[in-house]
Amino acid sequence: MALLEINALSVRFGGVVAVAELSLVIAGGEIHGIIGPNGAGKSSVINAVTGMVAPQSGSIRFAEKEIAGLAPHVISSFGLGRTFQHVELFGDRSVFDNVLTGFYRHQSYGLLAAALRLQKTVQSERETHERVRMLLDAFGLTPFVDTPAGLLPFGIQKRVDIARALAAEPRLLLLDEPVSGMSEAEAEMAVTTMRKLAREHGITLVVVEHNMRVLMNLAERVSVLNQGRLLASGTPAEMQANTAVIEAYLGDAA
Amino acid sequence: MRIRVLLTLIGLALLAALPLVATSYYLYLAELAMINIITAVGLNLLSGNCGQISLCNASFMGIGAYCTALCTTRLGLPTLIGLPASVIISALLGAALGYPARRLSGLYLALTTLGFLELVGIVIEEFPDYTGGIRGLKVPRPEIFGFSFQSNVALYFLVFTLTAAAVVVGYNVQRSRYGRAFDAVRQSPFAAQALGIPVARVKVIAFSLNAAFAGFAGGLLAGVVGFIDPPEFGILVSIQHITFIVVGGLGSIAGSIAGALVLTALPEALRGVQEYGELIYGFILLGTLLFLPRGLVGLVAKVETLRSPKPPAKEPAYGAP
Repeated sequence: MALLEINALSVRFGGVVAVAELSLVIAGGEIHGIIGPNGAGKSSVINAVTGMVAPQSGSIRFAEKEIAGLAPHVISSFGLGRTFQHVELFGDRSVFDNVLTGFYRHQSYGLLAAALRLQKTVQSERETHERVRMLLDAFGLTPFVDTPAGLLPFGIQKRVDIARALAAEPRLLLLDEPVSGMSEAEAEMAVTTMRKLAREHGITLVVVEHNMRVLMNLAERVSVLNQGRLLASGTPAEMQANTAVIEAYLGDAA
Repeated sequence: MRIRVLLTLIGLALLAALPLVATSYYLYLAELAMINIITAVGLNLLSGNCGQISLCNASFMGIGAYCTALCTTRLGLPTLIGLPASVIISALLGAALGYPARRLSGLYLALTTLGFLELVGIVIEEFPDYTGGIRGLKVPRPEIFGFSFQSNVALYFLVFTLTAAAVVVGYNVQRSRYGRAFDAVRQSPFAAQALGIPVARVKVIAFSLNAAFAGFAGGLLAGVVGFIDPPEFGILVSIQHITFIVVGGLGSIAGSIAGALVLTALPEALRGVQEYGELIYGFILLGTLLFLPRGLVGLVAKVETLRSPKPPAKEPAYGAP
């Protein structure tokens, strides 16, 4: 069943058309790759879906709800999470605090309960701290718990970004170039972790990449964008064999 | 023991023992310093944590001061109602200012809050029948359940207790999901939104909270000083509050305390050098900004890391479980 349905989506910046009449269906539970050369509109799609950019036209339905044009935090609260291409960590906060902040929506105590540190606040904090530790452990981030996130190498920051996004417990997670800046070995491990987490927690993953090799291992279906349009869609193997795709993208990159 | 724990204990012990040695003048100064701590804690949550500048912190202090003063003099209400009323009314006005200001930042926010400061000043001066106008207003000492805090020592311990309570509340908020949301909004509004944090609402909460602390401090100030007039709540005072948190350490409760204490005590300590006092004050201020970019608490953190050098974290094997 379709979890995310993008229909005739257009995003323009002044005269520049970033996304043109794009239609895309992401099924619940799948790992979907979106790929395309620079300027294909990949990031604009993510920004439109997460509400960070207002689309000019088209509809975006998430879990049967129209979300196009809603505020980003509202969209996020429906269970749609994202990571950032150029990580947006809270740089001077520790890795622990970064992931802890990701749980914001899942803690419900009010300001008064926080100010007086009532029992329910203590309880909620204790439980959440435990879950942060588990999440950090799953991503091999335990050694960096107290390190300010901004001081870490880029590859590790990427991991923190993913862990933090997972803390918000999204139903669908949009990963914007999740393995860029990672070494080959790191990337492979990250892919394994992501696949494992997606399966365990039933999270639908949409992975935006320009590295075809990463998607070959991770994605079940791949959509290829070019100049803001959908060029082709299918299994990774089909896409690698598709002449239009090779011409627009793979040929270009090789 | 960690240095900051030790410093806290020593500080508390010194403050508790102060009435044994200090003259009433120094007790009065200490009360002012503690009131400054309350207002610095509130301002630091807004500016240090949430990243929103405010030039009208003094106004909220003024609102709290006049509210307590009017409640206890004109309405004849007890302090136990006047002081909470100050907090609530300041918080509401803080939210009222924060709501339209929630989309502003930087210079625009600075100007908006400056406008609010002027407005509050004008309102105080234009209604002399209620506020005493530029001639000011006399305020009686706090009174709780019929006990009037006429004794200086009693008043000192009242301020001491209330300051401690306010600091604990500030600390609790800072380490709650709200404090984390403040930090998130300052450091990356995009990431905050992506995590479902309602950025605009969080800013309004921060404004309101800041105003509540300032209003509380103002209410206490009125009772402690016994007299309030408009210049006490002007732009210079607002800027002084900003120097408290910048010198002490942005985003840090300990920083708020250190900044307010040191900068309230410094002019007194420099009285001996007469006309050079302000010059030295200026140099100390500049020196702190230049050499301690993270404020006085940055210095403590530095000393702590010097004392216990941690081995560098090793790169772990990834994703093992």
